[in-house]
Amino acid sequence: MCTIAQTGQDGRDPAEATVSLTINGTACTAFPNETILSCARRHDLYIPTLCELDDIDHTPGTCRVCVVEILQAGKEAPQIVTSCNTPVREGMEVQTRSKRARDMQRLQVELLMADHLQDCATCIRHGNCELQDLAQFVGLTENRFFDRARTEARPIDLSSPAMVRDMTRCVRCQRCVAICRHHQQVDALVMEGTGLDRVVALRDADDYPNSVCVSCGQCVLVCPTGALGERDETDRALDYICDPDLVTVVQFAPAVRVAFGEEFGMPPGTNVEGQIIAACRKIGVDVVLDTNFAADVVIMEEGTELLKRLKEGRRPTFTSCCPAWINFAEIHYPEILSMLSSTKSPQQVLSTIAKTYLPEKLGVDPSRIRVISVMPCVAKKDEAVRPQFVHDGQPETDLVLTTREFARLLRREGIDLKDMEPSTFDVPYMSAYSGAGAIFGTTGGVMEAAVRTIYAVVNGRELDRIELTQLRGFDGIREASVDLGGPVGKVKVAMVHGLGDTRALVESVLSGQADYDFIEVMACPGGCVDGGGSLRSKKAYLPLALKRRETIYDVDRQAKVRQSHNNPQVQALYREFLEAPNSEIAHRLLHTHYQDRRHALEHTVKEIWDDITMSTMVY
Amino acid sequence: MTRVAFGVWDGTVHVAAPGAVDDGADPLVLENFDEFDEGNAIRAFFGDRGFLVFDDSVSLIDALYYYMAKAAEQSCGACTPCRMGTVLVRDALDRMRRGLDAPLDLDQIATLGAQMRETSLCGLGQTCAVALLGAVQHFRERLEAETATGRPIKAQHGMAYVTAPCIEACPSKINVPRYIDYVRDGKPENSLGVLLQKYPMAATCGRVCVRYCEQACRRKFVDEAVGIKTLKRYVADQQSGPHALKFTRDMIRKPLNPDMRVAVVGAGPAGISCAYHLLLRGYHVDVFEKSSQAGGMAQIGIPSYRLPKDTLALETDIIADLGGRFLFGQQLGRDFSIDDLFAQGYKAVFLGLGCQAGSQLRVEGENPATAGYFSGIDFLLKVHDHVDGIAPLALSGEVLVVGGGNVAMDCVRSALRLGAENVHVIYRRTLADMPADPHEIEDAKAEGVRFHTLCNPVRILTENGRVTGVELARMEQTEPGESGRRKVRPIPGSEFTMKCDALIAAIGQQVEDGALIAEDGIDLDRWQCVAADGTTLATSRPGVFAGGDCVTGPSTLIYAMAAGLKAARNIDDWVQRGSVRFFKRSRMRRLIADNRMLANDVVETPVRNAYRVHNPELDPELRKHMFEEVEQTISAKEAYAEAQRCMRCYRVYSVVTKHPIPEGAR
Repeated sequence: MCTIAQTGQDGRDPAEATVSLTINGTACTAFPNETILSCARRHDLYIPTLCELDDIDHTPGTCRVCVVEILQAGKEAPQIVTSCNTPVREGMEVQTRSKRARDMQRLQVELLMADHLQDCATCIRHGNCELQDLAQFVGLTENRFFDRARTEARPIDLSSPAMVRDMTRCVRCQRCVAICRHHQQVDALVMEGTGLDRVVALRDADDYPNSVCVSCGQCVLVCPTGALGERDETDRALDYICDPDLVTVVQFAPAVRVAFGEEFGMPPGTNVEGQIIAACRKIGVDVVLDTNFAADVVIMEEGTELLKRLKEGRRPTFTSCCPAWINFAEIHYPEILSMLSSTKSPQQVLSTIAKTYLPEKLGVDPSRIRVISVMPCVAKKDEAVRPQFVHDGQPETDLVLTTREFARLLRREGIDLKDMEPSTFDVPYMSAYSGAGAIFGTTGGVMEAAVRTIYAVVNGRELDRIELTQLRGFDGIREASVDLGGPVGKVKVAMVHGLGDTRALVESVLSGQADYDFIEVMACPGGCVDGGGSLRSKKAYLPLALKRRETIYDVDRQAKVRQSHNNPQVQALYREFLEAPNSEIAHRLLHTHYQDRRHALEHTVKEIWDDITMSTMVY
Repeated sequence: MTRVAFGVWDGTVHVAAPGAVDDGADPLVLENFDEFDEGNAIRAFFGDRGFLVFDDSVSLIDALYYYMAKAAEQSCGACTPCRMGTVLVRDALDRMRRGLDAPLDLDQIATLGAQMRETSLCGLGQTCAVALLGAVQHFRERLEAETATGRPIKAQHGMAYVTAPCIEACPSKINVPRYIDYVRDGKPENSLGVLLQKYPMAATCGRVCVRYCEQACRRKFVDEAVGIKTLKRYVADQQSGPHALKFTRDMIRKPLNPDMRVAVVGAGPAGISCAYHLLLRGYHVDVFEKSSQAGGMAQIGIPSYRLPKDTLALETDIIADLGGRFLFGQQLGRDFSIDDLFAQGYKAVFLGLGCQAGSQLRVEGENPATAGYFSGIDFLLKVHDHVDGIAPLALSGEVLVVGGGNVAMDCVRSALRLGAENVHVIYRRTLADMPADPHEIEDAKAEGVRFHTLCNPVRILTENGRVTGVELARMEQTEPGESGRRKVRPIPGSEFTMKCDALIAAIGQQVEDGALIAEDGIDLDRWQCVAADGTTLATSRPGVFAGGDCVTGPSTLIYAMAAGLKAARNIDDWVQRGSVRFFKRSRMRRLIADNRMLANDVVETPVRNAYRVHNPELDPELRKHMFEEVEQTISAKEAYAEAQRCMRCYRVYSVVTKHPIPEGAR
């Protein structure tokens, strides 16, 4: 299920809009069973809303802010209804801003504020909050009901290395539950408790490590307030950067450069690679490297691994670069773990080389190196602390900042990105990349990069047509047949993005219905360009996906080298250090293993009864 | 008759102050409203449509506080106005009744009340401020007078009760909106937990219940009733297999001494339910069952294409998980007597005997020994043995089933599966009069069963000891009588004959061997059912209680399970105290039912249509040849969508009484 935003009623035949009504005196036509809100929006009439999110078809009707006054045909008294879930009727007269409607909208927001922690200056959503906007829209001037003790009694969950779930700021819109349940279909979130105690909670778990959450972070993207957010580590980043004894290395992911500029008022999709390099240098980062380089290395390792597996008749092989996907496989489908490529993700590949090869090249003590990675991803924080990636207490990746935290870090340093003069990488290692590495950031990109290299390995010559448009597209599951030539011949590949479709694909692989050689999985709809760690939008879900994707393909088009194996720095790395793809040392450093983390779900009736509220045994 | 001192009900103000001018309002006719329990006058009543005060000295502030406290306790917290409004109003009223300065004045309270009334998401929030708003609007001076002194108001006696149309319609009083809440919240295990509070047979009920709740569902005023049964089956099936909830002994509230033993006779739905609740109360329970399997009519009377045998067995096994003991092959009157049970030290006995003897047509030529003649229940028993592989049964040719109830539907659909070429239903009234579940009738039609209504057997034709046909008379409807119901009478000279190879008389059942039980000191009523008190379920013999079909005549699974629970509660009282206590919630339900408080009102604001999901079914052409289950479970996605349709028509009711209301069983 790809949810790249389109409003529900758009594209319908106007002839089907057979219901006539008025909104604020304006004659409107509506589709049968359409909501008042949808009709008002199509006619460009504004109604304040909070819980509703049209892009994901979410109208739980819980906040009750979008109330309007209606007079139904044939009735004498006007009624108050919520416009988000009340359907239009023939002859209905709607007033969205009568005195009564406005008073009730305002009182509703005041009631929402009654147990919402309003320490806005300390909030992760400061200045970018839908609730703050809403207060403005309804003209809130009083805050009579706020009770700090009542509010602070609500829980804050700090158990995840990646995310914070702060119920003191939750408005119970349930968007997070909806995106997790209906779109990602992980269904890790539940609504729990009653009355004032009503919160979003984890299914069958008290903390993240024991839950079925995969840290994809899509819930964060839809949260209207600061209730859900990444665990902020900008302070630790500054600790590293400011420590003169440490050599700080920053890497940033393929997608970050195309999904960052809008935070500083630049047009969506602007490539700000040069500005990011300059900004890093300005805040005192010692070495700036590119995760794109590691993506090229991943293609060398994964491509070689795939060829070996094909020869052995082991199929399919799943990609392994998406950490939320790895979490999903380990927790939800451990039976497929043997089908996962053992190649580490680009983040971990870069960090590993930065603590082995790079110190040799730079002549520094590896123990002084700290790797900070900037990722459009929440799950990368999770990945960095996987036991497989921590050696003698030393992590490969020391710190992961989401795109949002990176923006915060720059602001803390007084940097406005659009004022930065673009710069270029200045270390001749681990910063050059091919166009293949660049497109890792979008769905289908890993597959396309892999095919370019595998074809060359098999045939000893490059593909004639480098851009494999048959692998591109936005359908949730796409499949293609690619002729790799030579002894390998045709292979069947599939690309899936979004965990809802991933679940369907894994099920069909397990049931034997799907027949593929190589499957690329990206947990976030659209791939990393819309990752759970990317910038938030207000009242929209993934609105900039296509622009970002376009820029990423531009980067590829403009790259001097377009295949991973032709990246000169990659060639040097293998020549000087790794010997060959899948060599003994490459295996030791750049490959990993997976662990069955499925949770046994077993409840007793007694436990359940102890948990039930508002229903008793009494007959 | 109860006299209203003042109040507001359905928007009409009632004042009966001395010398007051009659405001023209129709006087309310209130039934059964003088006393709540014996000697305990009802002083005021608060509900979703207003409030009525009978005793002028009642404190409105205290009563409204009490009512709003209940609403706040029951607020699910999903929507803003109810979550916060109930709490803010409750707290302000609380300050007022304590004689303290309140954070909100009456105007502010009324504003919040109107916000709850007009903008809440569900029935609880929409109705819980109606009484409050009526009081502030029409009796403001009384409220002000109560708080003017600044002295605390003495707390009044009474009780509050929360219900919904679906809950009141359910014999077991399942908290339907709550278990639907839990589906929507993403906690199906809690949803099943709500069901298990009332009975252990949720998967069974989710398959075969006749759904009184859905008939009461207010969603039908918008589009269609919520698929309550479909959701029940979903949560029960979802928690099966590797995810099955475990029944452990720590569910037992307080284990009792080994001598606290109770005998349950009959392992049908009533007996299973009674045993379950006795076990949960700590008793040591032995279940005596004449056959070799538990389940009673659910086991033998419901064909496996509707209720697979293993589904039922998993649920009756719960009795053993909780420490209960089944004693199979033990028939009352043949293998033991009630005297024997008391002699063995059982403190009390529950009779859940069922109605397992088929009634005869009582027409010429009828002889149960004739080949090709079956009573409905005997036939289903043979079907059961066939499915179990004990005794194969095959039919051919034309099969006639007389009757229009669920048993008749089970017979026709089973007959098809056993190879009959054509199966016919003979029913003396019209299709609309058939007591069978309409869904069952539709399913039978889809499988090719032919329905012949307004005709009735007058003679059974036999040849060489075999049934060969039936002579039938056509019937006609009479004009509606006083009850409004049309009767039927035969049309003289309309007789005709239908040939058949088998005839199944599925017109009713009776208690088997009632006479044997009578010898044990158990009175029977004029229908030869066990006579039991309507409130306590006690029989004429002290310590012996009875419930289910053997008391009511052939009825439904859910009524039987409800009787089992009620009996367990009363047996507990009887054993511990020697008598059965007043049960205040039952009394409240009487009050609500007698006065039709839960008005079956229309839904006034427009609601978006969202039609219900249906259980996937096997194709009729395929399924009519086999006994595998016809209906399948819905998906999680469908369950979430269906749960979203519930409008949560919760209502709060409270009474203020003169004296404390006695605490009943828990």
